[in-house]
Amino acid sequence: MIEDQTAVSAENNKEVSDAADAMFNYLRDVIYHPQDASLDLSVLPSEMQEFGEALLFFCGMVMDAKTYAINISKGQLDAVPPARDNEFSAPLKDLLASLKHLTWQAKQVALGDYQQKVDFMGEFSVAFNDMTEQLKQRREALANEADEVRKQALYLERSNILFKSIMGNISDLIIVIDRMHGDRLFTNHPPKNVLASETFEDQLYSVLLEYAQNIEAGEEASTDSFTLISDTGLQHFSVILYSIRWDGHDAVACVLEDITEEKERMDELENAAYRDIMTGAYNRHYGMKVFDEWAEAKEKFSVIFVDMDMLKYVNDVFGHSEGDTYINSVNALLGGISPNAIVSRLGGDEFMVLAKEEDVAADSVSEHLEKLRAELVASAPKDENGKDIYPRSISFGVVLVDETNELPPADLLSMADERMYEYKKAHKKERLN
Amino acid sequence: MANIFNKDETIHVFKWENLGNIKEGRTDLGEEMPVLVYRLMQFTMLDVLTKDFGPDKANEYFRRAGYLAGSEFVKNNLDTSVDFSVFVSKLQELLIDYKIGILRIEEFDDVTNNIVLTVAQDLDCSGLPITNETVCNYDEGFLAGILDVYTGAKYKVEEIECWATGDRVCRFNATVTG
Repeated sequence: MIEDQTAVSAENNKEVSDAADAMFNYLRDVIYHPQDASLDLSVLPSEMQEFGEALLFFCGMVMDAKTYAINISKGQLDAVPPARDNEFSAPLKDLLASLKHLTWQAKQVALGDYQQKVDFMGEFSVAFNDMTEQLKQRREALANEADEVRKQALYLERSNILFKSIMGNISDLIIVIDRMHGDRLFTNHPPKNVLASETFEDQLYSVLLEYAQNIEAGEEASTDSFTLISDTGLQHFSVILYSIRWDGHDAVACVLEDITEEKERMDELENAAYRDIMTGAYNRHYGMKVFDEWAEAKEKFSVIFVDMDMLKYVNDVFGHSEGDTYINSVNALLGGISPNAIVSRLGGDEFMVLAKEEDVAADSVSEHLEKLRAELVASAPKDENGKDIYPRSISFGVVLVDETNELPPADLLSMADERMYEYKKAHKKERLN
Repeated sequence: MANIFNKDETIHVFKWENLGNIKEGRTDLGEEMPVLVYRLMQFTMLDVLTKDFGPDKANEYFRRAGYLAGSEFVKNNLDTSVDFSVFVSKLQELLIDYKIGILRIEEFDDVTNNIVLTVAQDLDCSGLPITNETVCNYDEGFLAGILDVYTGAKYKVEEIECWATGDRVCRFNATVTG
């Protein structure tokens, strides 16, 4: 009996031991070899059957949850979830929901929706929210910048339209020249539209290049004028020079105005104001103006008072036309004193000549005048017998003005006048003969 | 004598103003109450309606009530003229402020305008025992009301996952039907 009991006990112990081994091996496989994990409930004693079923159910949930976790970890957001009553997979479903929402948020951010905020997933949320905030700020900054650029572009476009309109409509020729290399960077008209002759073009550029190379970068605007000479005539220009930056170059903008007509008009006005119409000599007004200026400037010069002899006689006997010829011949003669001398007709038969010391030395003035006078005498018109029809001659008085002079111009002129009369008186007899 | 000013008023016709001035009325207890009380009312109501009309009809009443609530909620709290992303963002904030739940979008179909969205920590169901049955019928109507008012389209919202079905969020398919 005891032996029987012992035998039964040993058999039970073995059954329990086999069941324990089976469950141990099953649990080990669940952990390390889930694909091989199986538990044969028939090896379990009857009293352990329910426990075995619970163990299979438990391990099944664990393995399903693990498979689900593996799929999620691989980014398979559409992975089939375990059975709904699998309690272990609930946190994974929670995570999956967060990841799906995060995916949508990332897509929204990619579309430019920077309002997206993550309010779960701890430190990642802070990083994500910082990112969207920075993207938002950057977009705002870029939008502001783009707005500014748009405004500037609009302003530039308008300015450019204005610039082109002005450039195209003004008659001035604007040429931009590279200061270093002399390249022509811009012209508002073809130069030939402005130049009187195409042959001027090279001349023009060489003049402008010289200006450009003599201007320092950043120098203020300067103004000048110049004249071009060609076969067809003179062309006068005024030029304003601006030192500028042009498309990365140190450049000079030359604004050229053709002042030929203006210059000619000015010359005409000057002639009308300062010239004696008949002789072309300067008039009394201009002569006295120069006299005052030279005296004021303490120049050393000779004042020559000239009176034509016998003009009234010529006018009365031979007519004013012959008188005018006589006057013109005297005027031409006086021009021979010096090319720089100022010959002015004071009126009727009187001339005044002003000659600087450097042009005609004071000690040779009288000698010079005597020679001219002799030429004039010799130029008198002749009859068929070679005899003078009427005599031609001048009387003159000379006063030297230098830096020590303190007399006013009027006194100096009177002094020259007196000397002229003395000369006339001295040579009266000679003329009568 | 009857109050002539209130002759057309009845508590049975919903108006947002009829929710009353809670702050003024509950000076000591305040404007909030435990979720337990909300659910107590919901589930006892569901119980009564189910007994009288059957579960399908009871769920339908809950859905319709939710739709009315969602529509009025948007009309009285949100700007519907803004872009969708801005609208969703404001709606999310508001649902959190009112402690209704955490709304998240999972998918949005640009072509069909169909949406998959979730509500976490939902007022109606989070923490319920698992019954393998979606229970957020009120939320289905609530979300449909919100989407209809904002989009002008007609949405059908169906709960596909729920705390009560073992999930941790309630997941809704919102489908345009007209």
